[in-house]
Amino acid sequence: MTSRIPAGMRYYIGAEARLRRKVEDVAMSVFESWNYEEVITPSVDYYDLFEQGMGQREAQRGFRFTDSDGHLLALRPDVTSSVARMAATLLSDRPRPLRFCYAAPVFRQQTQSHAEWRRENTQLGCELIGVEGKPADLEVLRLAAEILSRLELRSKYCITINNVEIFNGIAAYLNLEPRPREELRRLIDTRQGAELQQFLQDCGAGEARAFLRPTQLTGKRDVIQVARSVITNARSVAALDALEELWTAIESHGLEDSFEIDLGDVSSLDYYTGLSMKVFVHGAGSSVGRGGRYDGLTGSFGRAEPAVGFVLNLDALTEVLARANQ
Amino acid sequence: MITIAIAKGRMQEGALSLLARAGIRLSDEAVNSRRLALMDETGQYRFIFAKPADVPVYVEHGIADCGVVGRDVLLESQADLLLPLDLGIARCRIVVAAADAQAMTKVQGMIRVATKYSQIASAHFGARGIPVEIIQLSGSVELAPALGLADMIVDLVETGVTLRENGLTVVEEIAESTGRLAVNRASYQLKSYEVGRLVKALEAVV
Repeated sequence: MTSRIPAGMRYYIGAEARLRRKVEDVAMSVFESWNYEEVITPSVDYYDLFEQGMGQREAQRGFRFTDSDGHLLALRPDVTSSVARMAATLLSDRPRPLRFCYAAPVFRQQTQSHAEWRRENTQLGCELIGVEGKPADLEVLRLAAEILSRLELRSKYCITINNVEIFNGIAAYLNLEPRPREELRRLIDTRQGAELQQFLQDCGAGEARAFLRPTQLTGKRDVIQVARSVITNARSVAALDALEELWTAIESHGLEDSFEIDLGDVSSLDYYTGLSMKVFVHGAGSSVGRGGRYDGLTGSFGRAEPAVGFVLNLDALTEVLARANQ
Repeated sequence: MITIAIAKGRMQEGALSLLARAGIRLSDEAVNSRRLALMDETGQYRFIFAKPADVPVYVEHGIADCGVVGRDVLLESQADLLLPLDLGIARCRIVVAAADAQAMTKVQGMIRVATKYSQIASAHFGARGIPVEIIQLSGSVELAPALGLADMIVDLVETGVTLRENGLTVVEEIAESTGRLAVNRASYQLKSYEVGRLVKALEAVV
């Protein structure tokens, strides 16, 4: 017998467990009010599923082990992969759109940063499958904002939005090989202004000047205007148009105080195909939620269709609220 | 209000004078006191002074919104931070040094490397397929080759005097290091106005 607890695992006792349950109930009731159906996916699945769904780099963070027949299994590191497979196979005949939500623990053997020490956390998430473009993007953004406001985090949270096609358009326009493309992505992601300037001098690109001043990457509508003054390639311009339209819709719902545009959010380019979002809350040192559009995913299970969704980290939210209550 | 963590030691003086030129001042009395957390004269900035290796920790957890720390420390910590500004202070190099200037051409089998920077050293040699045994030390790394503990060292060099006095020469430069402004990812969004103001003020005097 051991009295030790593995790194990144914890207990919830009494008041904290109740608070955590309350947060979960708030999220699930908001999902329900928007007609999202609850889904419970297998906790253990083939590792291949997650590699296909999340990309190798993310899937490798999962706990892996072998089945009795030698196949590689994983303790689910995300839920979206499984929902996408279900939509493309089991539910291929159901009329669209599909709306699903879940509150489910996910497991990562290796965490993404030192500040995210948890290796088990519960995702409060939703997926909207079969609807393209702005209406669907706006729906999930409003849903996220409603959950966060209901948690009495109002004015203490910020949802950043971006469209990954802005970066993709520039990288394609510059004809970047995979390696320099990854280097450019990393420099933008970490806002390394001076190194970025050096990089762009070497490949001689006016297009990417939009990323040069780190403080101009985030803000409200004005960010788009600044970007438009240097970006001319059609793919990025179309993405800027889509982002601006979405921003206008956010304004028309009076939500602009809770949202920011962040053109520097290029952290999960392999995964998202349009909108990407991150959720930040006062009191948490890293993001407590993320999401976006992943139109490419269901295709890899045999039925290509548009999809968008997000997850909130229940454990991180509970920790912030518990500390605020103290 | 935002909190700035400053690396104590060789970074501290340059960081404080740069901040002063950007209009963010600590009173002399405050600097000379032994308190580890101080407010600036306007009350908009709180400073904490920490060991260099602890600065990325405070910033990554969001306890400090920003930090001023060397690139060497950031590379070693592998912290997930935003690095919007190169402050150009406390300039130095991270190098491989050995007694024999031709040491790199004579590598056979395996080399022993003594360093305070085990991550940087293993990444540097690993990228070139050279097998190394990393010997982690916490100071006076230059002693290791002379005493037979290691074949080479990976260390920070400012003038090169200490290396020469211990019979070592630089055989390779890994990277240049200067003081950087590091920013927490959440603070960057949630306190975008304050952080943006700090970045712009520093940008103007770098």
